[in-house]
Amino acid sequence: MTLINRPPVAPTAPILAEGMAKVPPRRGFLRENPSLPWFLGLLTIFTLMVSVLSEGLGVGALSTSMVKIIGMTLCLCLIAIAMDVVWGYCGILSLGHFAFFGLGGYAIGMWQMYARTEIVIRDSMAGGVLPPTPAEVSDAVAAQIFGVVGSLDLPLIWSFAHSLPAQLALVVLVPGLLALVFGWLAFRSRVTGVYLSILTQAMTLALALYLFQNDSGLRGNNGLAGLQNIPGLLDVPQAVLSVWFLWASALALGLGYGLFAWVVSGKFGSVIRAIRDNEARVRFLGYNVEGYKLFVFTLTAIVSGIAGALYYPQAGIINPAELAPIASIYLAVWVAIGGRGRLYGAVIGAASVSLLSSWLTGGGAPNIEIGAFRLMWADWWLVLLGVGFVAVTLFFPKGIGGLFDKLVRKQP
Amino acid sequence: MMTLLEVRDVSVSFDGFRAINNLSLSIGEPELRAVIGPNGAGKTTFMDIVTGKTRPDSGQVLWGERQIDLLRLSESQIARAGIGRKFQKPTVFEDQTVRANLSMAVRNKRGPFAVLFWKATPEDHRRIAELAEEIGLTDRLGDRAGDLSHGQKQWLEIGMLLAQDPRLLLVDEPAAGMTPAEREHTTDLLKRAAQTRAVVVIEHDMEFIRRLACRVSVLHEGALLAEGSLDHVTRNQQVIDVYLGR
Repeated sequence: MTLINRPPVAPTAPILAEGMAKVPPRRGFLRENPSLPWFLGLLTIFTLMVSVLSEGLGVGALSTSMVKIIGMTLCLCLIAIAMDVVWGYCGILSLGHFAFFGLGGYAIGMWQMYARTEIVIRDSMAGGVLPPTPAEVSDAVAAQIFGVVGSLDLPLIWSFAHSLPAQLALVVLVPGLLALVFGWLAFRSRVTGVYLSILTQAMTLALALYLFQNDSGLRGNNGLAGLQNIPGLLDVPQAVLSVWFLWASALALGLGYGLFAWVVSGKFGSVIRAIRDNEARVRFLGYNVEGYKLFVFTLTAIVSGIAGALYYPQAGIINPAELAPIASIYLAVWVAIGGRGRLYGAVIGAASVSLLSSWLTGGGAPNIEIGAFRLMWADWWLVLLGVGFVAVTLFFPKGIGGLFDKLVRKQP
Repeated sequence: MMTLLEVRDVSVSFDGFRAINNLSLSIGEPELRAVIGPNGAGKTTFMDIVTGKTRPDSGQVLWGERQIDLLRLSESQIARAGIGRKFQKPTVFEDQTVRANLSMAVRNKRGPFAVLFWKATPEDHRRIAELAEEIGLTDRLGDRAGDLSHGQKQWLEIGMLLAQDPRLLLVDEPAAGMTPAEREHTTDLLKRAAQTRAVVVIEHDMEFIRRLACRVSVLHEGALLAEGSLDHVTRNQQVIDVYLGR
């Protein structure tokens, strides 16, 4: 048999050909990802519908703030699919991915604040006899931005804040490098399971606490504000800008979905799911498990950073509270409710839970009078979320996506 | 026959218990070797040390022509160097298809980037079809491995091991849970494999060992008690004492 003796033996060929004929056909990329065309189609239709209904470009049925909420939700869906890949597919329960999201937001926010302040400063200096020198402009910008934390100097980390391309590169580089270094240290020491989760929580907590400091160089708990104004597009009304950001968010989500669908299918997907199920066995197959984990952790961190860079210009403000550990725990809850190990599950979970949350806590839902007791959704929302999470874990371990699977396919 | 694997004076303790005690053993290439011994003799720990799962407290494990020290390598590096292992309990990836299981095992580049951009070549398809034929799972390539019977999972794992094309196969109780016909097939397969490479079999079943008709190493309390043909070692008084219980 050719199988056993390493030098192949020719006469077995006809037997093999016969064997080949019985082999069931392999499944192609789209067959493996039936959700991809559906998802992209629905996302396109949805985005067009929102555009048509928007105040900025359409009939005005949806307010600008509503369009922003939808655009932000798409960004949350993007980080949710990243979380699903790292947790649902690769088995790393990261409770720190919102740190990467926040860092992406800070990276783009720095440019926005700097460039917009620079425009304001130049306008106010324009009346002078002599045109201001670059140093004067820079000093004035620094004083304007950092006066609030009692500083007049531009911190070193703002060295590139004047340049959009540089800050866009940092959107990718900062979360990517942090994830690479953190992941390398953690995975190399074979920290897994709940210990890794705690470590990622510690990472995001430490980062948030650091950013709360006034001398962190990112304005402490004031954070960065006015991010809804995009330098260079200050003349564009917010109503129109919100639709542009909706498109950008939808495009990023669509591309992210396609990227991750490709990553989790094929042999790479096989290997990371195998790592999730039995990482020791994967090592004995000759795969460097740590390298795979590091790759997935870093790639998802980068996508999270991009999601954050699109989210915060729509939110308008970012402060260190955004990096608090609870945000990353919510992210895990979304993915668990939506259904781990299926990308559309993460989208369903993130969209439904975050929209429900903003409806209930934003005063959209009517309070319920039960005799003398008044149920305020803003207070009770977390209880509802907790109960929902427990219920999903107990009764639908595969989440909403799992229910959806049962409806669409007959497979269990 | 050259020496492929040499274990020299290896010792390891777990919480004061000496699982392996100055064990020395060498395996040639090609060779078929059976390792037997009562429970707790250190058979599985021996495999754990060779595959890098357990680090010994002292001793050396040398590999191949260049006498590479395996103790410096990680599990995945050892596997890539050419040591394949089959576990006692069949450990296949139940959530994935038989094809995906085999495909992961087939000898190919193992790095994340190479795997990400990997596309199956006709050679890969041929090899998977061939392996599936050998382990009798051709019709089940598209099924989840979790849906296979216990015996079929054993076969799939053997198939994955063959797919790795290792120079040394470490097989822990291959016949457990197999029907007599399947055992016979397993014996054949191991004997054939041992014509071109080294195969080490851990087994309790004496009948199975007898059919392998190979050199036997008897372990007891983490050390080598006797070595030779099955008849030779079963005549050894020490071995009889250990097995029959004083």
